[in-house]
Amino acid sequence: MRAALEAILRDHKLDVTLTSSAPWAEVPPDRLAAIGQGDLDGALGGGLRRGHVSEIVGPASSGRTTLVMRALAAATARGEVAAIVDVCDTFDAASAEAHGVDLPRVLWVRDTGDPVRALKAFSLVLQAGNFGLVVFDLADVPPAMVRRFPFTTWMRAARMIEGSDTVALIVAQDRTARSPLGVTVSLTTSSPRWVGGAASRARLFAGVRPEPRVVRAR
Amino acid sequence: MFACLRGTADADEGLCAVARDFSPRVMRVAPGELLVDVSGLGRLVGAPDDIARELRRAVTEADVEATVAVASTQTAARVLARVPCQTTIADAPVTVLRELESLPPGIHVRDRERPYETLERWGIRTLTELAALPAADLSSRLGRRGAALQQLANGRDARPFVPDADVPRFIERLELEWPVDALEPLSFVFARLLDSLSVTLERMDRGAAAIHLDLRLTDRSTDTRVLQLPAPMRDPRVLRTLLLLDLESRPPCGVDGGREISVDIVTIEIDPAPSRITQFSLLERAVPSPETVSTLVARLSALVGESRVGSPRVVDSHQPGAFVMEPFTAVVARDAAPRSDAAAPTVHGLRRQRIPPAIRVNVSGGRPVYLAPSRRGIPSGAVVQSAGPWRSSGGWWLTAATTGSQSPRSGRWDRSEWDIALARGEVCRIFQDRSTGCWFFEGLYD
Repeated sequence: MRAALEAILRDHKLDVTLTSSAPWAEVPPDRLAAIGQGDLDGALGGGLRRGHVSEIVGPASSGRTTLVMRALAAATARGEVAAIVDVCDTFDAASAEAHGVDLPRVLWVRDTGDPVRALKAFSLVLQAGNFGLVVFDLADVPPAMVRRFPFTTWMRAARMIEGSDTVALIVAQDRTARSPLGVTVSLTTSSPRWVGGAASRARLFAGVRPEPRVVRAR
Repeated sequence: MFACLRGTADADEGLCAVARDFSPRVMRVAPGELLVDVSGLGRLVGAPDDIARELRRAVTEADVEATVAVASTQTAARVLARVPCQTTIADAPVTVLRELESLPPGIHVRDRERPYETLERWGIRTLTELAALPAADLSSRLGRRGAALQQLANGRDARPFVPDADVPRFIERLELEWPVDALEPLSFVFARLLDSLSVTLERMDRGAAAIHLDLRLTDRSTDTRVLQLPAPMRDPRVLRTLLLLDLESRPPCGVDGGREISVDIVTIEIDPAPSRITQFSLLERAVPSPETVSTLVARLSALVGESRVGSPRVVDSHQPGAFVMEPFTAVVARDAAPRSDAAAPTVHGLRRQRIPPAIRVNVSGGRPVYLAPSRRGIPSGAVVQSAGPWRSSGGWWLTAATTGSQSPRSGRWDRSEWDIALARGEVCRIFQDRSTGCWFFEGLYD
């Protein structure tokens, strides 16, 4: 009886949400979008699942933006077209270019801090289709404001890209949403790296090294 | 009856426009030289002299330099256009036929000139004299070219008049019985006009490169707008959506002096372009089609503003955060790999404040030691580590006149930057404006 039920669920592609089987190894490579950070891609089994909503969460200066820029760089390097819906207009084009993002392949939607309007823009981009990576940057929006979105919002977003080659990536301070095969990349505040002694005038900020932890469906 | 309009090669388009105003049967015979079939204009305009006068007036009004001649044959009209001071071709010099002959392109210049040298030796200088020569003797001495030259001298045409294919105008117009003041009924009007235009475009294997929309309003003014499309397209639904989104973001209707303004007449004209041939690849990932991108960008522009959608391009400047927005096209030819400094030790993502907010900073020993709370979203607290100051300045050569800005400091900067780590873990970039001494929060490293 159990075997028959699991077979039916697998036929309807519901097996990984309702059963204990987690066929990460069975995912063909073309259904994964590498982020471009070796250790994280290894932990993800090759990258983020296409056709699913994933998220990068963490506090300020934990390396969320650096990860997003690496993901954008990897997507544009593969010849894909990417989009970023920037709720608070904080995307820095110079940093992105320094990370290797091919900027002409990036559609940048700059909102002025209205998450509801930005969500509409996010939906429009997802509906258009054929984007390799769509980033919804809610990192500067207070979590309480994000939680006001109806839960069905994210289910609708997941349905929009289901079966497509698009990776939807939400960047936020706290866990927001992910689809069944999407992952949550959780980052914690790490101590910044500096070059040069504390009293040195030639001291240089050398960046924040993201320390990601992957949370996924069982 | 034919008219010949002869000008310079760069006046070709202007002459063509003038000619098409008189007759649809126009044939381009040489660069800057057109033949117009004016046979049917006798009853409308009058005698050939009147037609020639009208044509000269139209050419002058079009600000084109050209000579105009009207005659009963193409050859006679072309000859008269070259000797504008004469009324018949009888006294025209024989040498005028040089430009009228149809010769093989590879003919040697000496062969080209030989019949004219012979005729000059014989003392034949005008077309009347050439026409009066015995045809058989002329043919036996100069061959077939001699006979052809004599035919031209008689004003006979060597080839029939074949008008150029008409250049169609993709234009549709609808006068409404009742004025429309809302977008929804206007969308039905657009659908009707664009459907027929799309069929015509498809028949001609053309796409729309630009759409010209003229809306005549009830206050007798005309709202004109042009939508430039990133790629030729002819899907009527896409074109209609683009027009509606443009009208939604910039509505023509409004209240003028307490009176509703509505649309009375709708005219849509399309600039055609050869239609797009797309070769898809099995090995590359699909990208959004130009139609999809156009619609998406139009929808996003209507939602967040036109200047807030596009692709960023970093400006070649040392000014912090300088960039420009460029239209997003999705199909990008990759000339070179993008510049990447990802391996460099100092590459890190920055969340930049587009307008840096002013902050209060406590300084001790020349270094920032505390960021006072200023507003929500801006980190605050004790500074545990810092690096700086990194001084930069620029734009000092700019004046308000050169930048076109009201602000006297527009485009100039002179500042000391600091990278600071706060006790709660945030790492920020702050800077002090050296001209005012004020501190600003530039962004958060993330």
